[in-house]
Amino acid sequence: MKKHVRVDASKAYRALEQNPYRPWAARITSITPLTEKETLFEFRIIDHEVREHFNFNAGQFMELSIFGVGEAPISISSAPSKKGFIELCVRNSGTVTGALHEMSCGDVVGLRGPFGRGFPFQDMKGHDVLLVAGGLGIAPLKSLINHIHDERQAFGTVTILLGARNPDEILFRQQFDMWRHREDFNLIMTVDTPDETWDGEVGLVTRLFDQIEVDPANTIGVICGPPVMYRFVIEKMREKNLPVDRIFMSFERRMKCGIGQCNHCAVGHQYACIDGPVFNYWEAMNLQEAM
Amino acid sequence: MFFRVLKKDQIPTFIEGLAVDYEVIAPIAKGLAYVFAPVTCGARVVLDYPTTIVPPTAYFLKPKEALLRYNSADGEVVETVKDDRKRILFGVHPCDLNAILMTDKVFLGDYEDPYYKARRESTLIVGVSCTPRQSCVCHMFGANEVLQGYDLYLTDIGDAYFVQCSSVEGAQLLDTLVETREATAEDTRALQKHVARFRQTLGEAPDTTQIPLLFDARYDEELWEEIGSRCLSCGACSAVCPTCYCFDIVDELDANGVTGSRVRCWDSCLNSQFAEVAGGHDFRPTRASRVRHRFYHKFWAYPARYGKTMCVGCGRCYTACKVGINPSRVVAALQGDVGEGEA
Repeated sequence: MKKHVRVDASKAYRALEQNPYRPWAARITSITPLTEKETLFEFRIIDHEVREHFNFNAGQFMELSIFGVGEAPISISSAPSKKGFIELCVRNSGTVTGALHEMSCGDVVGLRGPFGRGFPFQDMKGHDVLLVAGGLGIAPLKSLINHIHDERQAFGTVTILLGARNPDEILFRQQFDMWRHREDFNLIMTVDTPDETWDGEVGLVTRLFDQIEVDPANTIGVICGPPVMYRFVIEKMREKNLPVDRIFMSFERRMKCGIGQCNHCAVGHQYACIDGPVFNYWEAMNLQEAM
Repeated sequence: MFFRVLKKDQIPTFIEGLAVDYEVIAPIAKGLAYVFAPVTCGARVVLDYPTTIVPPTAYFLKPKEALLRYNSADGEVVETVKDDRKRILFGVHPCDLNAILMTDKVFLGDYEDPYYKARRESTLIVGVSCTPRQSCVCHMFGANEVLQGYDLYLTDIGDAYFVQCSSVEGAQLLDTLVETREATAEDTRALQKHVARFRQTLGEAPDTTQIPLLFDARYDEELWEEIGSRCLSCGACSAVCPTCYCFDIVDELDANGVTGSRVRCWDSCLNSQFAEVAGGHDFRPTRASRVRHRFYHKFWAYPARYGKTMCVGCGRCYTACKVGINPSRVVAALQGDVGEGEA
């Protein structure tokens, strides 16, 4: 497999001779409440030229500006193939995300990005893919899932394991509910605490590993979720004999500048904003403070 | 190399001549200490100063600066006019010059910072030799000499300065504004004497062989708990450090509630919420983890990326830290026995 290529986050800016700190004005075009705390926002960059040049990889993130409040790093949920629009799945948990939840369709925010190294989409082609997400980790993974969906024939078996605390907290539940019955995706959902509507699995996402078959020679694993989840899922993937450099994961850190300068997102000797947020397990093992 | 000899009594004339076309930033006395400040009067400049409170890097990465002006109603963003006025940093010590070269790597590397770049490119630097103080450890990480980064470099050879000219603009200013003469063999011998005295004053450098390796291997050991238990998380070390460059970006709103500025300000990785993410998870919740991270960045992370230890041994943190945490002690702690608690 090829080396995990670094994506030059500043390329979009250089093409437009931009200042990396300058956000583009973007309009909220749709707001879809997903759970009690998470909402899917769809944005459209107002400047036509910028919008035409805008491109990204699944796993990259944007700096979202609410002018007068500040900026917050949010991973992109839509697939790169969805041109002209950017979807961010946002949890209402801070000042910026709180202010965003007060806004309505048509309101203007600022966006800059995309930043960081996303999932190695091109390198994943031709392989089986095992995607595991928990909680809000589904947000960045959805971009990858949808992108794989768009080019489904380029991949082998695609297995998706999703976990949440309860059915109400499953992001994009409607879409994934339907996908459970598709033949080209092996999607299994599980919750810790079921309710009367639930007909899926019950228990931690790691339990689902008993139900799947993995070809270790040809599979790439991807993990997205809360920090506590990584260690246990990696253990399961290693039990299935996935090589350490074929397990990818996305790290959540406090990226402020997005270009490896402010130091807020340092993970050991690397930066989540330019070296990550996606790292493979081998890299993560060699990073202090990674897990 | 282009060498000149400049009499010390010519310095005020030189500075006042420079001040006609440039903003001259030079060390002046402030109370019992020294600071870099704009000067127009040459007599105020003290070139044999021990060190300054705040390093001259503050003239490139400002403690606080507006990056943008925004209008929250329509999302209109206007970039702040870049500060590119002609400026001269006069009298920069070797350690601080090396520090500027280190921050250059960060702000003028793969991702250029337009604000830093504008200031850096419009600023000339005149370096000056120094007499090491007790807390100076520039030789610990090889920052006791400079090979580049200055336009002019003055070495004290008694009643005159031995001047190295490395840029056309610097050489022209020197030739136009003051009287100099060609360096003679006698001047070179005086230079040799200065170098010998400088080496003697510094003494032997602490051995820092394999510090990154020791740092990584002893990352989880108790010595950090010990150092962390003393650290006050006050951030004084990072505020005076010439190589520290952590910053925060915040929005300030005008009184009208609609327009405002996006401001960049100095931050410190020792601050308690530095690595906290939304929702409250803090990746470095303890003082020990934060002070360790600060040194890890200097001794491991920066060298891993840029090939050089990010400490110039200027000694500012040796006096700023009220509990005696400094690079020499960290190096000694990493090399020494953990059980002794001698950090």
